[in-house]
Amino acid sequence: MNTPERIVVLGYGPVAARFLDAMRPLAAAGLVEVTVLGEEKDAAYNRVLVADLGVGRASRGSLDLSDPDELAADGIRVLLGVRAQRVDRSRRLVHAADGSRLPYDRLVLATGARATVPNLTGLNPDPLHPVLPEGVTALRDLADAARLRAAVDGRKRVVVLGGGVLGLEVALAAAEEGAHVTVVHHGDRPMGRQLDAGSGATLSAALRRQGLQLVPGARATGLTTADDGAFRALALADGTLVEGELLVLACGARPRTELAEGAGLAVGRGVLVDHSLRALHTGHVFAIGDCAEVRCPDPSCAVCQASAGPSGLIAPGWRQADRLAASFTARLLGTVAPAPLPEEKPGVILLKATGVNLAAAGDLQADPWDAMDPGAPLEVSLWADPAQGRYVKMCTRDGALAGFVALGMSRAAAELTLLFGSGGELPADRSVLLRLDGPDGSLGRPGTSAGPESVLCRCAGVSRGSVQAAVTAGCGTVEDVARATKAGTGCGGCKDSVRELIEEYFAPTAV
Amino acid sequence: MTATHCPYCALQCAMTLTPSAGDTPVEIAGRDFPTNRGGLCRKGWTAAELLNHPERLSSPLIRGDDGALRPASWEEALERVASGIRTVQDRHGRDGVGVFGSGGLSNEKAYLLGKFARVALRTSRIDYNGRFCMSSAAAAGNRAFGLDRGLPFPLADLDTADTVLLLGSNVAETMPPFVQHLAGARAAGGLIVVDPRRSPTALLTEDGAGTHLAPAPKTDLILLLGLAHILVNRGWLDDSYLAARTSGVESVIRSVAAWWPERVQAATGVPADVLVRTARRLADSARTGSCYILTGRGVEQHSDGTDTATAAINLALLLGLPGSARGGYGTLTGQGNGQGGREHGQKSDQLPGYRKITDPAARAHLATVWGVREEEIPGPGVPAVELLSTLGLPGGVHALLVHGANPAVSAPDAAAVREGLDRLDLLVVCDFFPSETARQADVVLPVLQWAEEEGTMTNLEGRVLRRRRALRPPEGARSELWVLHRLAALLGVPGGFPTEPREAFEELRRASAGGLADYSGISYELLDSGAEVHWPYPAGGGGTPRLFRERFAHPDGRARLVAVRPAVIPDGAAALGRDEFHLATGRLLEHYQSGAQTRRVTALLEAQPEPRLQIHPASAARLGIMDGAPVRVRRSGTGPFAPRLLCRAEVTTFIRLDTVFAPFHFADGASANQVTEAVTDPVSGMPEFKTTRVRIEPVAASSEGVTG
Repeated sequence: MNTPERIVVLGYGPVAARFLDAMRPLAAAGLVEVTVLGEEKDAAYNRVLVADLGVGRASRGSLDLSDPDELAADGIRVLLGVRAQRVDRSRRLVHAADGSRLPYDRLVLATGARATVPNLTGLNPDPLHPVLPEGVTALRDLADAARLRAAVDGRKRVVVLGGGVLGLEVALAAAEEGAHVTVVHHGDRPMGRQLDAGSGATLSAALRRQGLQLVPGARATGLTTADDGAFRALALADGTLVEGELLVLACGARPRTELAEGAGLAVGRGVLVDHSLRALHTGHVFAIGDCAEVRCPDPSCAVCQASAGPSGLIAPGWRQADRLAASFTARLLGTVAPAPLPEEKPGVILLKATGVNLAAAGDLQADPWDAMDPGAPLEVSLWADPAQGRYVKMCTRDGALAGFVALGMSRAAAELTLLFGSGGELPADRSVLLRLDGPDGSLGRPGTSAGPESVLCRCAGVSRGSVQAAVTAGCGTVEDVARATKAGTGCGGCKDSVRELIEEYFAPTAV
Repeated sequence: MTATHCPYCALQCAMTLTPSAGDTPVEIAGRDFPTNRGGLCRKGWTAAELLNHPERLSSPLIRGDDGALRPASWEEALERVASGIRTVQDRHGRDGVGVFGSGGLSNEKAYLLGKFARVALRTSRIDYNGRFCMSSAAAAGNRAFGLDRGLPFPLADLDTADTVLLLGSNVAETMPPFVQHLAGARAAGGLIVVDPRRSPTALLTEDGAGTHLAPAPKTDLILLLGLAHILVNRGWLDDSYLAARTSGVESVIRSVAAWWPERVQAATGVPADVLVRTARRLADSARTGSCYILTGRGVEQHSDGTDTATAAINLALLLGLPGSARGGYGTLTGQGNGQGGREHGQKSDQLPGYRKITDPAARAHLATVWGVREEEIPGPGVPAVELLSTLGLPGGVHALLVHGANPAVSAPDAAAVREGLDRLDLLVVCDFFPSETARQADVVLPVLQWAEEEGTMTNLEGRVLRRRRALRPPEGARSELWVLHRLAALLGVPGGFPTEPREAFEELRRASAGGLADYSGISYELLDSGAEVHWPYPAGGGGTPRLFRERFAHPDGRARLVAVRPAVIPDGAAALGRDEFHLATGRLLEHYQSGAQTRRVTALLEAQPEPRLQIHPASAARLGIMDGAPVRVRRSGTGPFAPRLLCRAEVTTFIRLDTVFAPFHFADGASANQVTEAVTDPVSGMPEFKTTRVRIEPVAASSEGVTG
């Protein structure tokens, strides 16, 4: 029997967890010897829910994505709280911070991303080792969640820096759980990069209705601290001070690439990998998830040209984990290699919030009337009802969505999300999609005409006319009608209608 | 007057038959009973029309040298069958002969058919059409609870429910009198229907009676994972129940962590706030009221049907429902004896009493009851779709006996099945009408209808019922028990195949004794006394209307939560290309299964003479399809000569933009199963009937001969 292949995985976050899960059968069969290093003391947990945890809306246990004991039972070695310090590619060794060395045949980088710390006076700018003052936090790990939790439980004033998706989600959740929240953001409106002016303005109003204070058009310059060094206020370029007890930095995330850089790997925004997720110019190193950037060596590759780098979304990372595990499996079992990953479509942004329903994706800056110019590439349909917090814009190319936003209309948002993903053609009558959020979710009930030929009792197949005839012939009760026509003898749902017909017939004629 | 039950679905509505001198030999009246409360649907009311139908078979038919079926004597027909079987056995071995049974057969027939296969034919190749409807829920139930009884509680328990989550079940059409039991939940505003169509059942949620969730096709599993996620996340689990009565909850909690509401919304099209509201309703009702989760074919007939049913069960377990006084989980069995039919040995991997054919103790028990050596009992065979795919092929089945089924219409990829039936050396069909399958047969044997025979049926709640004879069968028709008895004798097994149902049931009692579905304490006398009899009912004990109250059927008494996850991470509705639709097949109120019976009832055929393809007006407009216009439906990726479904369009807003629906009750060019694919669930072998990728085109009116 061959010696098992040694696979070392650096990072034990959600994407690594999915990869490890898929490797369990090979590990259990003794075909691979897998070791995973996680810098945090906790096994993989769902970062998407860290904000929910921070406002007390989710329990810690519900975030778990992986069980080290379960992995260990299949022979996968899990090292928690161990940081990888250096990768020696020539010797195929990982040097860990605890002094141990891990030899590998294949190395998988799943080091994820870290929160961006903005350049503010009063904040340590070293991105690798940010030491944030008391009362300042990012929102990426469990410790961050604990800091937010303390502020929310104490009904403190929370200042959120950043009007992107994460910032708004944290702000809305914290406000709903009782904190006083101010959102400080660039530009006239939040989510300025993802939204058009109309939806941005509608969103701002919706956010204010949810109790958020918004400080638009702000450029933060620094923070003021109390004597004990704790955060007191965020200073803006115009001299304003936004006071609070907790500052949440929601300024985006950056791929963690320092190990890769140290190992001499090609790095752009993330670790550069080809379409099989292999690090460029290497034989045995792979990268998946937030730390990876798919950019193949072929300069004419249309997919890579169109790519905007790592998306920061979880689903593409999970697909990469599945793909990499499948290709490892196929190679070791001698089966057919999996197809390369399809091109990732731009993700749909779905705001995780209970009070505001927002979905947006793609290109939606076009204006409905500009789009009418001959030769304009897009068609634009627009519905705006800002007083109700509702706004839908559909930008289509050849009938398929190139971009959309749906605010305050959840059924439309959900269907447009599916249509954006599938590339399906929209109904020529775009209002069909708006009417999904109407009171009955459809265009009225067909077959509800009340003519004598219409079916009154579906179960027994009895027409309204037959029941009327029975009533005219003397049936005076629902039971009489049932005996005579069988109407009402199945589910009984039509008995009220039968009763109405009887009452109608026997009612004294109005004078 | 004869007290019996309806010939059709698993609700088995009680009815009374009175001899009549009118158009039909008996008159039908609904009979008060806890399940139907006197109600019947249109199918039940008109069932007597089949008893003296002109097409009723009353003589065996044999295919002559000229290729036509001609009447023959029983003697000649049975001899032809026996010699045909012997020839195939000589040429291809014992497994060259196959048996295809039905969830419509009485317990007695189902039991003896299984025995006939194992003891008289000594073939492993037996399976049945219940594989098309109940096998995924059965597999999930067995995996979770250690036992599969569709409803582990009496149906009437639903009356007091304030919340009923109905997943993929259109009871308002498939078993209308059932709807009475939803009145309580509707009054409480708690009927939650999950269906991509705004079906008649979904309409029952209107006017404040509940909620209709219309997830995109193929996303039911994700929807359920999403509901479980919310329960976990909000701390709405029944922790003490989970600790005391289940195992595996930790892995399920981890498996749903990745399905937060917005992600589920993106995959299913069901808004996140609706998901949260639904989960809250379930949790509130599980805590303080009465909450039931029921699945039907809509979520089960998929290539991930077992996992989807498992996810529904997990949801129920997280809420602490199964085996509690505050609700439960159940699957709504479809066919008349879909429950009993899956317990007593028609399944390829099963022996009577819901025993496993691979279990040495089970084999030893049956060897004793049957008076054979244990090693003579064949091992497990193959499930229905696989069985049908081997017809007439090397290593496959070359002679097939079909009982109470019409796979030429009801099987997926029915055109391929029809070709397979044509390849057989011998096809024998027992039926009372010349069904589409019978028309392909070499020998057709006329058997009895429901009002002409005695026996027992087991309804959707595991209650054993008596079917009683109300009139003499026509001259020339014989009971299937008699047929099996005679064939066994001709094949050299003279004993062990009683012709009297009561005698067969007595043997079934012994055969099932000690099994999961233990009938040993049940007798015709007990049933005739009017007792409520739910299995397990061991000899010397009592029945079990409510299962799992003390323990589940696994050795440790605990229910198993099994983590499941979707096969692929969805990327929008990426599986669907432009101009493609998901075709879902299903049933109409007026018809039953392959329609072999209901298409012969005048009123039912007049009401629904042909299938209609439901399509959304926006999609129809895009394709240039008018309401009522003919369309052709073909499976994506098939060539120009592949089978097509030809039917008229029904343009309706009651269906999603990405989905079309067709009923499967019709034959030939109107058969929806020509288009469905023979893809199956890896655990249960159940076919994917609910999502086939199709393309649709309008048919020019002139080619239909509509214009001049």
